[in-house]
Amino acid sequence: MTKFLAIVKREYIQRVRSKFFIIVTLIGPLAMAMFGVVPALIVNMDIGGPVRVAVVDQTGKMFVPLQSTLSRGRDGERPASPAGIDAGSLSRNTNESVQSTANQQKTKFQLQEVKVAEQSLETIKAELNRRVRDKELDGFLILPADLLENGSADFYGHNTGDFITKERLESALSAAVREQRLADANIDVNLVRTLSRRVDLRSIKVGSAGEEKDSGEGLILVFATGFIIYLTVLMYGQIVLGAIIEEKETRIAEILFSSVKPFTLMVGKLTGVSLVALTQLGIWAIAFLGFVTFAAKGLPINIPNISPLAFVYFALFFLLGYFIYSTIYALIGSMVTTAQEGGQLAMPVILLLVVGFYLAFPVIQSPDSSFAFWVSMVPFFSPITMVVRIVTQTPPFWQIALSLAIGFATVVALTWLAARIYRIGMLMYGKRATIPEVLRWVRQA
Amino acid sequence: MSSNPATVLLEKVSKSFGEFTAVSELSLAVSAGRIFGLLGPNGAGKTTTIRMIVNITAPDSGRIELFGQTITPELQDRIGYLPEERGLYKKMKVGEQLRFFAELKSVKGKEVDERIDHWLARVKLSDWKNRRSTELSKGMQQKIQFITAVLHEPDLLILDEPFSGLDPVNVGLLKEIVLELKRSGKTIIFSTHQMEVAEQICDDICLLNRSRKVLEGSLRQVKQGFGRNAVALRIEGADGVLDSSWLVTSIQHHSDEIEVLLAPGADAQQLLRSLLDAGATVSKFEMVEPSLNDIFIEKVSEA
Repeated sequence: MTKFLAIVKREYIQRVRSKFFIIVTLIGPLAMAMFGVVPALIVNMDIGGPVRVAVVDQTGKMFVPLQSTLSRGRDGERPASPAGIDAGSLSRNTNESVQSTANQQKTKFQLQEVKVAEQSLETIKAELNRRVRDKELDGFLILPADLLENGSADFYGHNTGDFITKERLESALSAAVREQRLADANIDVNLVRTLSRRVDLRSIKVGSAGEEKDSGEGLILVFATGFIIYLTVLMYGQIVLGAIIEEKETRIAEILFSSVKPFTLMVGKLTGVSLVALTQLGIWAIAFLGFVTFAAKGLPINIPNISPLAFVYFALFFLLGYFIYSTIYALIGSMVTTAQEGGQLAMPVILLLVVGFYLAFPVIQSPDSSFAFWVSMVPFFSPITMVVRIVTQTPPFWQIALSLAIGFATVVALTWLAARIYRIGMLMYGKRATIPEVLRWVRQA
Repeated sequence: MSSNPATVLLEKVSKSFGEFTAVSELSLAVSAGRIFGLLGPNGAGKTTTIRMIVNITAPDSGRIELFGQTITPELQDRIGYLPEERGLYKKMKVGEQLRFFAELKSVKGKEVDERIDHWLARVKLSDWKNRRSTELSKGMQQKIQFITAVLHEPDLLILDEPFSGLDPVNVGLLKEIVLELKRSGKTIIFSTHQMEVAEQICDDICLLNRSRKVLEGSLRQVKQGFGRNAVALRIEGADGVLDSSWLVTSIQHHSDEIEVLLAPGADAQQLLRSLLDAGATVSKFEMVEPSLNDIFIEKVSEA
């Protein structure tokens, strides 16, 4: 036990004290803040003032409606669907959360009407072109007389690459034209809005005890769990690999093995590195919660309505997933002599994790199928697939327990195997093991 | 061989890796309180033998006893091992590193600090306690590695090529420490292929070649039993006596003396008498013991 603790302690203290750990730990929350806040800030940035657009309205009646749809907000501006009237685009109170980038952009439009009356269209265009070149205007819009029938208009601008402006003009114009057509056909626009209101389908889970809860929010948590496992494995897998190889590269392995059993060494190293990982994740979790509570009170982050038991399961399966994948890295580390070699061998491991992610989709659709049962028993996938099942349609306890037990047994078996390969590999320094060799080693020792 | 109880006892121990036989039917006994030289050319099986003694690998067959007991992982704490393949953690401070290795041998607490200070002072590296090992020269690192083997005051110390790459001053320092440890009652197994060093410090030796034991015994017995009778001579006159004498098998001329190898069964005194009878002036007549190096080369090339 003294020996085991000595290994854990060394592994933990050396790593936590390293500059690398401290820097990464500090950068984490900063990056979190950056990715969460900066994009929103940039998109919402108001640069260059309003977009000045001249409108040559040959229909004689579309300028005012266009001005109103353009200033009204997103409801009026959304592009019409091919079917003609998009019900969703007309109802004001649904799909609140769906916002296009263009709509977040707060750029204002400044429209000015150009009368066609006495001049020819060519003269007007020449004049407007000059004004665009002289930067008096950002662009001009020509609405042909048959706009309502043909539905096509031309926009001339100095920056035609500005798709946001184009998209907003297009949708505002579409909305204006659509409403004008309805008005021309004597149909009340407001009535159309009311009648074409969208249906909102809520999904409510029927649990075994008859209680109802929303599983949609739970699924977000499933993917969060999966994503955290993925990130953690990506980050710490390499570190586990490095830790296992360290004694080979520094040639300390033989001294260690004259004092401790290889299995103790393996478990000690894994435990040490894992504690480092948990320390870092813990610091980040606290930083994140702090960020949510203090800095971003206004943000609409809902804590999903999940039972405490489910949280315990998430924690267990997260740990399981972490340990399964880090022991695979330990196994790889035991077979190779340098970290570079190990990195190459680790690629398929990541693939395995990605497969687990994709398996979540069929499982969501039929969580009680036998397919779902089997994939939630396979140790490399269960940390994701079993969590999906727990959230969607909680399986019987024995299945959860069995899945955990299989996973735990896999971790122990992989560690044992890694220890064995490590010891024999150490006795033959400097050469990379082939798979048949490794198999022979395992049988030998 | 002395009558001391055996600290290490091997009985018909064999170990092979796949097709390759590393150690074959090896039996040997290391007596308590003596320095035992495990000698042999590269690849003879020395390191494999040691690894079996420290319980890193298990023998395929045969029996190993340590301190009169069958080996167990617990006995590892009573062994100090300096392997030939050795290193230090790069980024750890010297003091922390030594403490870690002591804890791996189940020694901890305040006592460890005192021992670390004592040993660092002994090898003249006290100022380096709080430096990272990457800052140390190779020789300094080797002295630190030596401390890791002795810090837990083991009863059995196994040193595999402990002096390779050290300068003569440090070789002298470590040799002195090894002899001191022997005086304090420790048993030491010393593995090397440098015969000059072995000759200076070993009490008993065992020579391995190609997985087998070819020679064993105390240094004295081995030399006597080698059956090689040589005389170093410096003479004037009596030309031709040496060449024609039936007592002599070969003559080697060095810069200012002659080395004469006597025929089997020949008596050196008889040769001296015949030289004097022939009127030679003898300024040097010395029986030369075979060096361990000679024995080594002859035994190894014999096989």
